[in-house]
Amino acid sequence: MISNILLTVALLCGINGLLALFLIIAERFFLNYGPCTITVNESKTVRVPGGSSLLSTLNNEKIFLPSACGGRGTCGTCKCRITQGAGPLLPTEMPLLTQKEIADQIRLACQVKVKRDLSIRIPEALFSIKEFKAQVTLIKDLTYDIKLIRFKILGDDEILFKPGQYVQLQSVSYDDVKESVSRAYSIASSSDEKKSIDLMIRLVPEGICTTWVHQYLSEGDEVRFTGPMGDFCLCEGTGEIIMVAGGSGMAPIVSFLRYLIQTKSKRKVTYFFGAVTKKDLFYLDEMKRFEKEMVDFTFIPALSQPEPDDQWDGETGLITVPMKKYIQQIDTETCQAYLCGSPGMIKACVQILNENGVTSDRIFYDPFA
Amino acid sequence: MKQTPGEQQLEIRFRPGQITKSGFMGDDTRHIHDIIEADGKVLERFGLKKADIADRLTLFMDEGKKELEGKVDLGEYVVQVHWARGLMPCPFGEPGLHPKVVVHVFSKASRQEIRYSQLSVHMIRKHGFWGGKGSVFRLEPIDVIRLLKMGGNGE
Ligand SMILES: Cc1cc2nc3c(=O)[nH]c(=O)nc-3n(C[C@H](O)[C@H](O)[C@H](O)COP(=O)(O)OP(=O)(O)OC[C@H]3O[C@@H](n4cnc5c(N)ncnc54)[C@H](O)[C@@H]3O)c2cc1C
Ligand code: FES
Ligand SMILES: [Zn+2]
Repeated sequence: MISNILLTVALLCGINGLLALFLIIAERFFLNYGPCTITVNESKTVRVPGGSSLLSTLNNEKIFLPSACGGRGTCGTCKCRITQGAGPLLPTEMPLLTQKEIADQIRLACQVKVKRDLSIRIPEALFSIKEFKAQVTLIKDLTYDIKLIRFKILGDDEILFKPGQYVQLQSVSYDDVKESVSRAYSIASSSDEKKSIDLMIRLVPEGICTTWVHQYLSEGDEVRFTGPMGDFCLCEGTGEIIMVAGGSGMAPIVSFLRYLIQTKSKRKVTYFFGAVTKKDLFYLDEMKRFEKEMVDFTFIPALSQPEPDDQWDGETGLITVPMKKYIQQIDTETCQAYLCGSPGMIKACVQILNENGVTSDRIFYDPFA
Repeated sequence: MKQTPGEQQLEIRFRPGQITKSGFMGDDTRHIHDIIEADGKVLERFGLKKADIADRLTLFMDEGKKELEGKVDLGEYVVQVHWARGLMPCPFGEPGLHPKVVVHVFSKASRQEIRYSQLSVHMIRKHGFWGGKGSVFRLEPIDVIRLLKMGGNGE
């Protein structure tokens, strides 16, 4: 009796599975949606083959929407407005959309399939994001776990970016990792340099992209990245600039400093860099050079747990300690702050800055970080 | 028995290179649900709930985060947290992203250490999943219970 029931259940499950498999195969091979037209911002039209997600279809057309989960429908960063042709809302989209967004025709580009003509609206800034082919020309250890990687852009392409922006580097298959992933890395080089970029990449234990960079990438390799992206940029102003960073957060700050040198800025800049021990410090010679080249620049590194061997006579404690001591002594009315590091560091800094008169509209950092 | 498309998707997300470098299964050939059930039974034996463990792991993580990468001496334990920028999804596929945080908790008494990520804590709390045997971030429930001195005498 029980074996009969089990057999029937197994049979039903088997049939269900086969039907589902058949539907997937049928959709892939027999459902030909033909060419479709996507109208972007009522001004640009592209003719594309139907059948894939809007996200990947736009990618193929060199229109790069942000994506933090690789199109898995879990991050919501690929939201865009589809005013025509999107079809009914999918169950996979619902949890990530508010009622207001649904009313405003916002959809997840990675979930919506291109099956008919579509009209979409996206921020104009996304059109300036390009995909670049580049060659690795330099890999240099900055610390035991941070490498500087220089990429020379191949072909006639040039990258036009604002200091503080980042690119999405695409890894390639290695070892057990069969698919490519993209990860954000802030550009550390000067925005004057249009044929190459420098990134500072810190190894994350068991990280997909950073393991590839640290253990598999070699000088001479060709890679792809998209960019520039991000709104973390230097703002107009005449007041003092406070910069705070830790680890690879050094990258966008270096790009800011290079820009201030190029533009012969007269603004006073004080840069606090936090590390645990001396072996986490880097770019000290460059900072000395910047101190000479800039009108009024001070670099203040602090070690939170210096080793006895470090023979450290500089600031000690969390980076917030010297930063707090400093801003309590200055007039913060016009001062701006630029932060780059872990969300924990950013949260602690914002609190101290707010308590000392630097309002949130004058504090800048990458919100997705 | 054939898997449903939903289960196939779930199984794909647990593979190496999909969400994490080495995946979540290690060399464990059991079904994800069987792993969850077996680990759940260990907790039951000690009269513990998933949330008890997740709360304790969160407590250590929060203490570690305060020191921004340095070691935090909590008396019996030393905690250190590494926090990379960026966010990652959960392999179970529900909406939401998790910070890339790795926590090390070292017990001075037993000289044993456990390592987990913020995603591991979420997976224990929400899904009862501790990782497949042999996976790099697998937490062995019995080791965690002993190291954190939790639960009654379930041995
Ligand atoms: C705007 C922006 C700018 C950035 N700029 C820089 C930069 O200039 N330099 C830089 O170095 N980084 C930068 N980052 C961070 C970077 O984008 C990546 O997030 C980082 O390098 C890690 O990528 P990964 O692929 O190596 O790690 P991932 O593979 O994405 O994630 C690794 C995480 O997964 C966890 N994990 C792995 N396996 C498991 C498991 N089985 N169970 C549970 N947890 C597991 C690990 O603990 C770790 O926390 C930036 C991020 C943003 C958002
Ligand atoms: S890319 Fe993450 S939800 Fe669409
Ligand atoms: Zn989850």
